[in-house]
Amino acid sequence: MVSTFHGLETAKRGMTTQQLALYTTGHNIANANTPGYTRQRVSFATAEPFPGAGLNRPQIPGQLGTGVQAGTIERIRESFLDVQYRSENTKLGYYSSLSSALAKMEDIMNEPSNSGLQNIMSQFWSSLQNMADHPENLGARQVVAAKGQMVAETFNYYYNSLDGIKKDLGSEMDVTVKNINTIVSQIDELNKQIASVEPHGMLPNDLYDKRDQLVDQLSSLVNVKVRPIKPIQYGQPLPTAVGLYQIELVQNDEAQLLTVDGTTGASQQNELSITAENGVKAPPLKGNVQSVQVGSVTLDNFSGKLKGLIESYGYVDGNGKVKGHYPEMMEKLNKLAYAFASEFNHIHQQGYGLDKTDPAGEFFDLGGSTDYDETINYAQVIKVHDEIIKDPTNIAAAKNGGDNSGDNEIAFELADLKSKDFSNYSSLPDDMSGTFDFYYAAMIGELGVAAQSANTNMENVQVLVDSVEYNRQSVSGVSLDEELTNMITFQHAYNASARMITVIDEMLDKIINGMGVVGR
Amino acid sequence: MAKIREALKLNLTKVVNDMRVTQSMLSNNMLRNLSNNYNKMGKLQDQLTTQKRITRPSDDPVVAMLGLGYRDSLNKVQQYSRNISEATNWLDSTDDAISQGVKVLQRIRELTVQASNGTYEEGQRGAIAVEVDQLKKQLETIAQTQVGGKYIFNGENTNKAPAAGNFSNGDIELEIFDGIKLNVNTKGSELFKSVFNTLDSLKSKLEDKTASDTDISGFLDTLDSEIDHFLKIQADVGAKQNRVDMMKDRLSSQETIATEIMSKNEDIEIEKVITELITQESVQRAALSVGARIIQPSLVDFLR
Repeated sequence: MVSTFHGLETAKRGMTTQQLALYTTGHNIANANTPGYTRQRVSFATAEPFPGAGLNRPQIPGQLGTGVQAGTIERIRESFLDVQYRSENTKLGYYSSLSSALAKMEDIMNEPSNSGLQNIMSQFWSSLQNMADHPENLGARQVVAAKGQMVAETFNYYYNSLDGIKKDLGSEMDVTVKNINTIVSQIDELNKQIASVEPHGMLPNDLYDKRDQLVDQLSSLVNVKVRPIKPIQYGQPLPTAVGLYQIELVQNDEAQLLTVDGTTGASQQNELSITAENGVKAPPLKGNVQSVQVGSVTLDNFSGKLKGLIESYGYVDGNGKVKGHYPEMMEKLNKLAYAFASEFNHIHQQGYGLDKTDPAGEFFDLGGSTDYDETINYAQVIKVHDEIIKDPTNIAAAKNGGDNSGDNEIAFELADLKSKDFSNYSSLPDDMSGTFDFYYAAMIGELGVAAQSANTNMENVQVLVDSVEYNRQSVSGVSLDEELTNMITFQHAYNASARMITVIDEMLDKIINGMGVVGR
Repeated sequence: MAKIREALKLNLTKVVNDMRVTQSMLSNNMLRNLSNNYNKMGKLQDQLTTQKRITRPSDDPVVAMLGLGYRDSLNKVQQYSRNISEATNWLDSTDDAISQGVKVLQRIRELTVQASNGTYEEGQRGAIAVEVDQLKKQLETIAQTQVGGKYIFNGENTNKAPAAGNFSNGDIELEIFDGIKLNVNTKGSELFKSVFNTLDSLKSKLEDKTASDTDISGFLDTLDSEIDHFLKIQADVGAKQNRVDMMKDRLSSQETIATEIMSKNEDIEIEKVITELITQESVQRAALSVGARIIQPSLVDFLR
């Protein structure tokens, strides 16, 4: 026999379950615009039918349904898309930091324009040619001194500005490292909160969302990979429970930013840190990057914004050489400033000032050094010699001493220097070929190519990130139309269950008040 | 039948692949598209206001690198034009000075002819001697010709006036094109080589009361060869002037070419950019109006 009140229980179950679904729908609608939110669903299942199998089961024709029951409230999310998103996001972080660092460099070098070194050098060349036309003219000489100063100041400006940006990149790197460690400790905190819910057979969906969002943020800074771990001593978690996140770095040696013990679930955070070339640990970062460690493991392969910053800021490679966009550009400027200024001086000292009998001195002042010394920042120290500025008649235009104000041979030689092959220079730093003009054009060309490829890659990766994000939103995003449709569905189901109760009520009324009153 | 099944299968896969699309996806997409459009419009705007195809090396590294070279050669051409006008100054002034010198010598020759034809008296010869002396001084002034404060006949010692008959040496060369140098000065020591001595002895002969007509007419040949010497050097100067003129023509066409190459390399084609801008504008309008239609209504608007 089936209980008289059986239907009431079924209808009540229907009402509470539909109500649950309706409230979840409300939660979804409310969070439609919450970043990182994943839509949630109540999974419906039929309740245990009546009667169960057994010897003393009631003899009725078959199993009778007992209504609906809510399974779990779970997120609708595809973890594969998360993996894809994070790996693309890491690349995006890398290329966009590279692209912005190189764009700043382009802003400083400011080519092609009228204030770039190319134009200043052209003006200097013209002033030397003018001096060759009018070697006896003090005005023409003053212009040479002034344009020479402009050349020196352009080198100074380039160097100092690049140096300033490099320092900024250094502090950005300190901030990024701090950011990475903070995010990891936040993930650790969320892990702990999740660990207090999951063992009780519940799903902390909103905590999951927060944690995934933090991992997304982390993935743009450094290339991390997530390994969810459900420890052995973990109560009664649901099969769909995610577990605790262990944060690992994608690289050869095992390096973990956050280690989770597989048995107890105890966690340990390993801080990411940077060591500069002088062996001093950052922050603050001083000097080029020697190595990056996580705990005691030195990283051999990393990506993300951190890598972009390091490649821009400068690092020491395996052979002890300093690499990186900024230090390399600064070194090239140093070499160029040294090579040009020292050869200019060399020619200048072979000539004579206006009607002078003693050979001329130096034109450019390189701080007194003669041989190329890579510890000296020539582009920073270069200036026009005080004697030249004080008295422009000290500029050598003449090849021969004495009264020969019209002698302009040295002036032409000086002008020719710009297009003179480096191989004919009297002293030259290593690895330089071509002429001043070619070398500088190549510097600008290389910068252009590097910046262009960073920009293109950034745009391409951005498209990929957008498309993965699109897919992710397609799966997990809240659709208001859909929620409203569900709302109506659940509302109607709720009402219908309520109507069931009315029906049963009428049935009971019949039994209680209408039966057994025959002939009354 | 198979075809229909195929079509049905296709349709089915299409349904399976049909994505679930939400409002926020659409609005995010629209925002992204709008911002991309603004980006492109900004680039076009930059191009129109600067008239340049590129504003930074990464816009087009090749154009940037070539641009550096083209700017340099344009600057060179302009500077060589300045050098050439200086060379022209030198040569024209020299030419002019030599012409004056020839006139002076011709006048002296006329006087010498007069003095040697026997009808002149002693006193008249004395007067001629005074005039010859004056003309010699005139020639000395010519030897001290200045252009822009430079003594053009005193070799490289351009700041000092040459003492009569005593010139400094040295060639002055100007660069009139890449690696091409032109000697622009005429050395006083060559031009006025023997003329002052000749005039001195002519003058003393004229003052010499015992000198015969033939003694004086003997100077005519010497004077003729001096005039020839002047004319020969003037011809040299003329030849250089021709060379400079030719170079000037070549430079002016070079300047046109260099400007054109540079412009072709980095300047925009205005009509093209404006067309692109207009296209971009209409794309933008379309995107905005579509956005306004897509974003607005949802099921909420139709539920009561």
